[in-house]
Amino acid sequence: MGRYIAKRLLSLIPVLFGVSVIVFFLVRLIPGSALQMYMGTQVEASPAQMEELKRIFGEDRPVPVLYLEWLGRLLQGDFGVSLRTGRPVLPDIASRLPLSLELTLMALFLALLIGIPQGIFASLGRRPFWDLANRVIGLLGLSLPQFWLAALMVLAFSGFRGWIPMGNFVSFAANPLRNIQMLLLPSLAIGIGLAAVIMRYTRNSMLEVLQMDYIRTARAKGLTRRVVILRHALKNAILPVITVAGFNTGYLLGGAIVIEEVFALPGMGRLALYAIYQRDYPVIQGIVLVIATLFVLVNLLTDLIYALVDPRIRLDSGGKH
Amino acid sequence: MPATRLAKNSIALAGLAIVALYLLAILVSLVWLPFDPVKIDAEHLLEAPSLASGHLFGTDEFGRDILSRIMKGSLVSLVISISATALGSVVGIFMGIWAGYLGGRWDHWIMRLADVLFSFPSLLLAIFVMAVLGERTYNVVFAIGIVYIPQFARISRGAILTIKPAEFVKAARSSGAGSAYILFRHLLPNILVPIIVQISLSLSVAILLESSLSFLGLGVQPPYPSWGNMLSSARKVMVIAPWTAVYPGLAIVFLVLGFNLLGDGLRDILDPRLKNVK
Amino acid sequence: MKRLTVLLLALLALALIPATGAFAAPAEKVITIGVDQEAVGLDPHIVTAFSSHRRLDLLYNRLVRIDDSMAIVSDLAESWDNPTNTVYVFHLRKGVKFHNGREMTSDDVVYSLNRVLDPKTASPGRSYIATVTAIEAVDKYTVKLTLSGPLPSLLDGLSSNNLAIVAKEVVEANGNLQKVEAGTGPFMLKEWVADNSMTLVKNPNYFEKGAPAVDKVIFRVIPEQASLLAGVRSGELDMATINDGAIIRQAAKDAKVTVMSKPGLNMRIFSFNTSRKPFDDVRVRQAVSLALDAPEILTIAEFGMGKVTGPLPIAATKWALAPSSLPFTGPDVEQAKGLLAKAGFPNGFTVKITCSSTYEGGLAVAQVAQDELKKIGIKAELEVVEWGVYIDKWVKRDFDTMIELRGGSPEPDRFLYRTFHSTGGVNNFLFKDAAVDGLLESGRSQTSYADRKVTYDKLQYLLSDRAPAVFLYCPNENQVLSKRLSGFKLVGNGSLYYLTSTDVKP
Repeated sequence: MGRYIAKRLLSLIPVLFGVSVIVFFLVRLIPGSALQMYMGTQVEASPAQMEELKRIFGEDRPVPVLYLEWLGRLLQGDFGVSLRTGRPVLPDIASRLPLSLELTLMALFLALLIGIPQGIFASLGRRPFWDLANRVIGLLGLSLPQFWLAALMVLAFSGFRGWIPMGNFVSFAANPLRNIQMLLLPSLAIGIGLAAVIMRYTRNSMLEVLQMDYIRTARAKGLTRRVVILRHALKNAILPVITVAGFNTGYLLGGAIVIEEVFALPGMGRLALYAIYQRDYPVIQGIVLVIATLFVLVNLLTDLIYALVDPRIRLDSGGKH
Repeated sequence: MPATRLAKNSIALAGLAIVALYLLAILVSLVWLPFDPVKIDAEHLLEAPSLASGHLFGTDEFGRDILSRIMKGSLVSLVISISATALGSVVGIFMGIWAGYLGGRWDHWIMRLADVLFSFPSLLLAIFVMAVLGERTYNVVFAIGIVYIPQFARISRGAILTIKPAEFVKAARSSGAGSAYILFRHLLPNILVPIIVQISLSLSVAILLESSLSFLGLGVQPPYPSWGNMLSSARKVMVIAPWTAVYPGLAIVFLVLGFNLLGDGLRDILDPRLKNVK
Repeated sequence: MKRLTVLLLALLALALIPATGAFAAPAEKVITIGVDQEAVGLDPHIVTAFSSHRRLDLLYNRLVRIDDSMAIVSDLAESWDNPTNTVYVFHLRKGVKFHNGREMTSDDVVYSLNRVLDPKTASPGRSYIATVTAIEAVDKYTVKLTLSGPLPSLLDGLSSNNLAIVAKEVVEANGNLQKVEAGTGPFMLKEWVADNSMTLVKNPNYFEKGAPAVDKVIFRVIPEQASLLAGVRSGELDMATINDGAIIRQAAKDAKVTVMSKPGLNMRIFSFNTSRKPFDDVRVRQAVSLALDAPEILTIAEFGMGKVTGPLPIAATKWALAPSSLPFTGPDVEQAKGLLAKAGFPNGFTVKITCSSTYEGGLAVAQVAQDELKKIGIKAELEVVEWGVYIDKWVKRDFDTMIELRGGSPEPDRFLYRTFHSTGGVNNFLFKDAAVDGLLESGRSQTSYADRKVTYDKLQYLLSDRAPAVFLYCPNENQVLSKRLSGFKLVGNGSLYYLTSTDVKP
């Protein structure tokens, strides 16, 4: 196990290296540069001033050179300085990250809370009409565009104090209740789609498991339906659900970008969006690296949970058996 | 036989009916629309839906008929959704099967590449691709397709891995069958179910992603209507004219619902392990 | 599972209890203002973002400022003389204190203006005073500026936040002023949580007696315009800066709030690349000018919240001529068609309109223009690009036509010279016209208002006739206020300076 984790953590390095190369060159391929965005259409500058500005914005040297310089500083833990605000990138990301993580976790929690019971219910198929209604409602949740739902929520709730952040967002540490209240609608908007996915996977995987011989044996042995479902079937059926939940964390984090924008939440997604609009390269690079790291870690965690729940899976196999 | 099973599966039928309704709307829109979807009409700005005026879904902030724009926009939404899913699934499944079946170094490098792509949140990756390629409708297909590649690669690899140790595969191999034969004869059919589920999910997510991109101003460009850009411009006026946001939103919801119902139903029908389930 | 559900329900119930505490301490007077964009930095000499300037209005002073009638009035400079048209002498207020307690003197003015002029600072304000050759501290309270040539827009330039007076020691201690402030303004920076809120507190030593009237101003960032209005309605906000016409229309019908609205200095224009065919032909430009119906565009794109304008922003009443008195202000489809035919395009042509979905990018304007151009046979394709790409095309002059929002100024020289002179820094029309250049140069060297007025009147006719761009309208500047507020005034350049005199009823 320890060796496996070490190996996986080591494999993080090439992935992050790949991500850093892609993001560094990709953002510079986007038309429009940080300097142009800074200057806008209203500002005049003399040629000499432009030269100076190019130097300040690092637009006077070739991109590969810039990349190596950036990588060098990065290895020393220096993420650079925002081209727009002049602030160091890392503390800015660090101050935004908790909100996005909290939003993602709450969305995941709500999705599991809604999706798993709904999926189990749908798999039992005892009452055909309700089963059908349940599935259609679940799928309807999956079909709602997040930003549309979010915009409708803002429209409906903005008259009520405390539910929609009005630039008065408080951290969990400062006021947990207020914090959760303000994040409830946004995390619901993000999580409702995943709830349907989880419902679907729970149902499918329950259906499979319920047909397995050992379940039939258990039923034949006279165990109650409830015990069979919750203790035996669910335990095995939950595996693919865990994978799907883990694997959708990226989707949730991505959802956070638009939702943070619509709900005016000062999270990392919004920082990323503005950084892209403003071509604030160091900020984009920093955020993408942080997200990628998180993501690989979540995947590792998913695999570990998977292994813990299902002893049949041996982690060290590395694809061979 | 699948046809008769399809006929018995109400979920799939409902999905099929919805998708067919949209296809019909697209066909109709090619020859007839209630109003010109791009014609600006200063006399009828933000009119509420009414039978009398003929604007069944009302008009937008340019006085354009919302129903006509939704109909016109359905083609682009559907084409983007299908092409992006096709692109992502073909490339992704190929990568995944290859990696999963061959294992070893191939597996390692292909999956690292997928990991790299996968470590970008999907919307962020799509935003990057759109920003680099420029806001053209066909670039939306690439942006979403690229997002899908690692997803299909992972799913098909995972499915291959679970099925590879199975007895029938071992038997085929020991009887001297070639890799390609085993891959297509034994492995592919057995991993079809998760892939079909993923395809139906991807068709619907593509529509949502396209609308998110358009909502952020990076998707299909006005005045050509797409559901996403209709919602994007409705965002400003929805307080005074909710219909500008409600109808295009519902158009998305129902088509996506159609795909989801179809996908869910198809799974019931196709999965050999679920034959006993009604 | 059941226990979890109970816990969640309990949490929900608790969350429903309105948070208290935020509204405690009744003795304190607070104005909470909602804005749709976060400031990108606070260094007055460096920032370009409009949103940053709105905070700087309250943190810093300049030598002079613009009041609500768009006249130049005293700020840190109590008075000034203009002995020759290349020398300005400013007499500073005595006893003005920086927020760190030190007295502001002529040395600080010299330091600040030199910092702006230093190319290393990369200040956008540099061009406003680029012709200044010497800045001297005559004595502790007197500063003398010497110019290389006459510059009638100097005072107007000095009123910009980009030429704010800052305390040297704070700049030196922090490298720049992006996160800290070193001003003399009516309010002081207390707390800044990026993309969320910024709290400013009253400067107790402010030089204007009795001001500011309130203890605190809190900026809250809320990107949704509809939420801003809802915030003022529910009392969560006291005031909100809203630029969306639809929302303002809605607010105007609402008895709970006060809407303040007047045409600002920004100007919506339809720009031609005069170096590209067919827009190198003045008749084609005139035809487009006649085809575009500015009032209709204003009605649709801004819900009528604005005023049609000529080459000078209509709010600059001292100078601007009404568009109705200028040539080629349409709509006149027949005359336009005739001009096109004479120019060799009886059946029109195909052209691209570059725009962006941001407000500045004018997507709505482009869509109406596209429709109107159809009427004279011009087939316009919209090139809707992301804002960064838009800027890129603007900088590279890579467009046929473009929808722009230009920042005007109350002084004709500053706006017109840099925009339409053949050497102008923001002349992206690549427009070259000897007569226009000549008038711009004489406007700059003349000193009396009467002479300059004649020159700029001529120039406005000429610019409408030569049409390097079609001048459409000036969007309104809007604030939605709670009925509790009194004393606020709109300036016209977006400034929130009058929060200094705004009071709030408990």
